[in-house]
Amino acid sequence: MNGGEVARFVVSFLEQTGCRIIERSPAHVVVKLSTEADRALTNRPFYWSFVDRTGTEPETMTFAWYFEPPGGAAQAGAAEAAPEALAAAAGNAVAPVAVAETSASAAPGAAATALSAVAGTTALPAASPAPAAGPLPSAFSLPGVRVISEHLHFGSARLHQLFDYVRQRGRNVFLFAEPPRGACAADPFSHAYTAWLGVNFKISSECDMKREDLYSWGISLATGVIDEKFGERLQASKMTTRLSPEIRLLKSTLTPRKAMARLEAHLERKLRRGDFTWAVEAEARRQEERERVTSYYRPLIERADSEEQKRALQERLARREAEIDWQYRPRMTVSVTSCGIFHFPGID
Amino acid sequence: MHTLYGFPPEAEAGRRVHPLVELRIDRSAFEELERRLENNGPWDNWTLYRLAWEAEQATRIGDFHELQSLRMLPRFTPLPHQTETAKRVLHEMHGRAILADEVGLGKTIEAGLVLKEYIVRGLVRTALVLVPSSLVLQWVRELNDKFGIPAIAQKKTHHWNSDVVVASIDTAKREPHRSLLLDREYDMLIIDEAHKLKNKRTGNYKFACELRKKYCLLLTATPVQNDMSELYNLITVLKPGQLGGESEFSATFVADRRVPKNREMLQEALGRVMIRNRREGSDIRHPRRIVTTVPLTLSPDEQALYDGVTEFVRSSAREAGIATAGALALVTLQREVCSSRDAVFLTLFNLFKKAEEGSLMHERIRHLVELIKAVKANTKAEKTLELIRGMNDKVVVFTEYRATQDYLMRFFAEHGLASVPYRGGMNRGKKDWMMELFRRRAQVLVATEAGGEGINLQFCHHIINFDLPWNPMRIEQRIGRVYRLGQTEDVHIYNLCTLGTIEEHIVRLLHEKINMFEMVIGELEDIIHTLEREETLERRLARLFLEAEGEGDLRRGIDRLGDVIIGLSRQRRQET
Repeated sequence: MNGGEVARFVVSFLEQTGCRIIERSPAHVVVKLSTEADRALTNRPFYWSFVDRTGTEPETMTFAWYFEPPGGAAQAGAAEAAPEALAAAAGNAVAPVAVAETSASAAPGAAATALSAVAGTTALPAASPAPAAGPLPSAFSLPGVRVISEHLHFGSARLHQLFDYVRQRGRNVFLFAEPPRGACAADPFSHAYTAWLGVNFKISSECDMKREDLYSWGISLATGVIDEKFGERLQASKMTTRLSPEIRLLKSTLTPRKAMARLEAHLERKLRRGDFTWAVEAEARRQEERERVTSYYRPLIERADSEEQKRALQERLARREAEIDWQYRPRMTVSVTSCGIFHFPGID
Repeated sequence: MHTLYGFPPEAEAGRRVHPLVELRIDRSAFEELERRLENNGPWDNWTLYRLAWEAEQATRIGDFHELQSLRMLPRFTPLPHQTETAKRVLHEMHGRAILADEVGLGKTIEAGLVLKEYIVRGLVRTALVLVPSSLVLQWVRELNDKFGIPAIAQKKTHHWNSDVVVASIDTAKREPHRSLLLDREYDMLIIDEAHKLKNKRTGNYKFACELRKKYCLLLTATPVQNDMSELYNLITVLKPGQLGGESEFSATFVADRRVPKNREMLQEALGRVMIRNRREGSDIRHPRRIVTTVPLTLSPDEQALYDGVTEFVRSSAREAGIATAGALALVTLQREVCSSRDAVFLTLFNLFKKAEEGSLMHERIRHLVELIKAVKANTKAEKTLELIRGMNDKVVVFTEYRATQDYLMRFFAEHGLASVPYRGGMNRGKKDWMMELFRRRAQVLVATEAGGEGINLQFCHHIINFDLPWNPMRIEQRIGRVYRLGQTEDVHIYNLCTLGTIEEHIVRLLHEKINMFEMVIGELEDIIHTLEREETLERRLARLFLEAEGEGDLRRGIDRLGDVIIGLSRQRRQET
């Protein structure tokens, strides 16, 4: 993922989670998180449990996220642009902080201390990404509002936190393709929809090394037809959560469970036809390693002075063998990363 | 034991897609879909669904071989030999290797790269890094800052539960920690300063053998080939049997404890588990070290003080008996007087407090204090100021003594020169702060300590050795702070040398005789290690000074010592 791809990903995420973007350029975004995003990203369980218990108006955090490495030309532009948004940011963000502080002072003893402690240290906990090596523009360090500057790049802990979030919250959908434009009553099939089970598979092939493959497939619940390009079809389609009144859903003949079994069988056939050189090689390494440790331990075991020593050595050998299996044994895992029911016009 | 084979616990036990390959399926996301269908929702957001797929595509490991971690670390560019090493560890050694680069080539970085690569590939989740306690924080910082690996330093028992833990090996091998660690398994074990495992009777060795690990990296800068049994033991931790059984190994490779036979065969066998990059072979441009001795003549009152102290040391030592610990310690006074009157005064004052009232010792010290009072200026400090003003660049002034450090900072301040202190006793935060002040605000850092972790002074190209430690390792540490990996400019080293003193002999030995200031960093460690098996260099020198009868005798004694060191150095070069 390059800077531009990261930027598109992040902005989509922010829009979908109801965050308020204060300012953005191709190289950066300044954002006040929604409560949902704040709970998911800022790792402040103490603060949020306080808000939940007392019903206090929450104060979410504000970030300036940069998509180019510090010192990049694009960012210099962003830094220059930044001051223009200052007033807006100040106007919008300072006020809630004041509110939070007032309510804190009104709250009884210990709780008040707790909030001011939290409000005072909105810094990220230890697990947060290390600050960028070069100085990030700090134009947003306004009195009363703490804006945390971070370089979001592929590999940064923050971006991977977003990845984890969308993996959790983008697992199952139930959708309808928008009816084709100009469809009319004359063509009854344009309003007859059938259901598809769309499944995203991740296949990992593992030994002491690892490779992954991704497949986005679909199977028609009406006919059992399998589409290996279903992912592309989805990419090209406009989907909606609403079923328009003029649309007629055709009956499914397969349950999702049966359809899933067929998809899996199809996948397994495909995998069997794959190239297993990697596994043959890994197995050869495993055998070689096992012979090596056996040749080391066997004479020691034979020469052991006592039964006890012998047992200890045998146990040690067994352990080394288990380690070798653990390291080299070839294996594959298929995981369903996400799946959904999609309704498309017509019958395939 | 499901974790043993790396399958996620949710995955259903499997069938085979190839005679060798078991397939497991994790369909938990589908089962969740079925539940939601039954309950008529709730459904996830379509855009998030697509973003999730995008995230999968972005993080996919598309290839068994290509390093995935590099694209994750845009702020960090490893040197070519480091990337090459990481690749060899992954592909040729399959994650079990000895990293034996010479000091300063970045073994930590190589280990970090390998660890990061396995983490990114999802092949390592838990890792244990065992290091000497003085290096724990440095490792934690390096892994976090350079590699974005959330490693934590083990301080409390519950820290062992974290995925990536850095701990002192001496703590880890003791109960209650020991049992906890032996009870679990680590995807990766890294041991720094692994030559400490070479003796198979030690607790360290047994502990490292017993730990259950998938991948394992042993880091050492000491060329283990020098001792055949040590080498054998180290490899047994990693891959038992790699060099054959013990008797087979002896028959094939050992001529004598220190002399291998069938060298080429041994090199080849070692090449399968060990990587040793050398400075000579590496593609690092070597900046030069330009060493200047600055000879100084003491002023008459300074000379009088020096002579007085020398006389005091000689006579006190004679009375205490030469070569006793007390007598050898007295030589320190002679070294201090070459540094500053403040340094020598402090030690004399302590001696004074310990001596009996009205004793001869009291009388002698009182006399010396009179001489101290007579000293009005410090020739070395004046010369240092002149040097600093002439170089117009950042400079570190090293001294062995706190009192000298304080004096110098006062002296510089009086002359309108801001300086920053640095010493061993400061806590981490203060050290970092001082380093930052030096980087941003001050021209001069006055340091009493060069060792310790994490000081990086590459932005500085000048060192003034106001006085010299007698332990060459400490000199090497001083140089190493500035002349290290990443230094691109030539480094200037000035050794102040007061003529006609004990210091002149030391500078002559270290600079002119054995030329240590230009030695390859790391080379010295081996030599000193061998030399000091019998007696530390510091003690040898102190003994020479006390036992010598006259200047000529002393000179010959020091020359002999120099010859021994040169001999060891030659021997080492032939071996490697």
